[in-house]
Amino acid sequence: MYGSNIQKELDALVDDRVSDGMFRVDRAVYTDEAIFEQEVSRIFESCWWFLCHESQVANHGDYFWTDIGGQPVFVHRQEDGSLKCFINACSHRAAILTPFKQGNAKTLTCRFHGWTYKCDGACIGVKNEEEGTDKGKFDLREIARLKSYKGFVFGCLKPDICSLEDWLGAAKPWIDLMVAQSPDGLEVVPGSSTYKTDGNWKLQAENSVDGYHVSTVHRVFAHTIAARESKGEYTGIKKTESGRIAGGVPTAGYSLGNGHMSIWAQHTTPEVRPIWEAKDRLERELSPIEVEWILTRGRNLYLFPNVMLMDNPSTQIRVMKPVSANRVDITVYCVAPKGESDRARAGRLRKFEDFYLTAGMATSDDIAALEDTHEGSMARDAKWSEFKRGIRTFTQGADDDAKALGFEPEASSDNWDHEVLYHGFYRHWLKMMKGEQVG
Amino acid sequence: MSDVQQEVTNLIYREATLLDRREWDDWIDLYTEDAVYWVPSWANEEETTHDPELQLNLIYLRNRGGLEDRVFRIESRDSYASVPLDRTVHLVSNVLVPKEDGDDIEATANCIVHTYGKKGGLTRGSLYDFNLRRVDGELKITRKKITFIDDRLEGPIDVYHL
Repeated sequence: MYGSNIQKELDALVDDRVSDGMFRVDRAVYTDEAIFEQEVSRIFESCWWFLCHESQVANHGDYFWTDIGGQPVFVHRQEDGSLKCFINACSHRAAILTPFKQGNAKTLTCRFHGWTYKCDGACIGVKNEEEGTDKGKFDLREIARLKSYKGFVFGCLKPDICSLEDWLGAAKPWIDLMVAQSPDGLEVVPGSSTYKTDGNWKLQAENSVDGYHVSTVHRVFAHTIAARESKGEYTGIKKTESGRIAGGVPTAGYSLGNGHMSIWAQHTTPEVRPIWEAKDRLERELSPIEVEWILTRGRNLYLFPNVMLMDNPSTQIRVMKPVSANRVDITVYCVAPKGESDRARAGRLRKFEDFYLTAGMATSDDIAALEDTHEGSMARDAKWSEFKRGIRTFTQGADDDAKALGFEPEASSDNWDHEVLYHGFYRHWLKMMKGEQVG
Repeated sequence: MSDVQQEVTNLIYREATLLDRREWDDWIDLYTEDAVYWVPSWANEEETTHDPELQLNLIYLRNRGGLEDRVFRIESRDSYASVPLDRTVHLVSNVLVPKEDGDDIEATANCIVHTYGKKGGLTRGSLYDFNLRRVDGELKITRKKITFIDDRLEGPIDVYHL
């Protein structure tokens, strides 16, 4: 639709006039393939991109195959315990080098013509090698940047970007609240689910921190759980927080800078959360405010552009692979504190299965709503989506809660129904699309 | 065909028919109160998860109440993913009864489910592992494990898709 005019038109896509009480986005951002192509180069390949969790590549030789904006890469655990990430293509004729999504191989041999690479990417074998071959020229292509933050592994194809810590910025304390839940850190639980979504990746980003939909889309979940509870317990840990879904509890939303966003809502029955068993230890080791956030506030964190970390009745890493303007593939993992009791682990998993899967009773409804939103966005005669709720009441910078925990958001809203957090998301998106900022 | 083989086959056919015809209460009645309904997730390309308690499943319901939750949700007409409800046709075959021990019977079967919904037609395959028990002369399901062979899922998956 925009084609070669895209550069000129970009500014027109985000109507940012907060002082006039207006913030709206042209729905072409969801549907236009020329815009998507520019997102691939200007955003996906140009900022810190979530790759995997370190527990997925725990031992020497463990590999994890994923992609960055459609380019296949794999993370490989080195002999010295460090991580490297390579383009997942044989230097010879480009065949994928990892037979599985996840596995262990201290050397990788291409299954096409048998070329062999060491764990550090060095080409050490060319089948029927011809005289004069310089194997050093065929070492695997390492991506420009790779860095972990407390177990979460990010990479970037471009070298000249800021440090990962600077990129995460105000989002770091939100990650810290998850990681602090075990002295030994977190681990991804075996099993996962991947689902295709017929919708734009930004709709998924929005949905992950959209408190406003919870009391409509997930009303049926709350009613189902309430009906279940009236019949007695069976999930292993009794209640799920249906009160949080019904509304009427303290909530907030934040624009965290660099496009990151977050929300929280007070739990009505925090004692049923799997983490509750760690209460005494947390109180000994952490500040009262951190303990309060961990135990009593359900939190959703969106990290621009491709990962969400949820810490609610269950805990989740949700990873996006945008495929086209009209499709995003999503993989969800249950991430849990290492060393928690079997009872807590089972409770965490059952809550995950209840809510967080397309075979569950909530994410399935989210996806249906998202796909309808995408389809509605095809209506070019009604092109604006407004993000105005809370536009006259938000706090510039940190509210009292943010100050107390110690993070500095761009904007704070005292209600997760509000949409001001998306302003930061779309401002950052526009900046990167225009090439004014790389990650 | 032995009487037991015939009886088991009829039960499995009946389940498929009740799901396709949306006769939810009769469907649930095929299960005992303590019936386990388990759909493991894929741990990797070749193996599903094997410990339903401590690994991630697509669905793991530890008694019939979990199935009742699903029916409650469908009948509420308040689930975005379930309105309009997908149409389904289950084709069950390869019914075998490898083990019979008094009132306890094990059976396996294969199932192809053709679904028609918002995304058009989708065909999905599953392997069924049943544990059955004779209760007051009637055969009931005490455990059903569904190995859903799709990995990258398209659209929502509920009990009637499986």
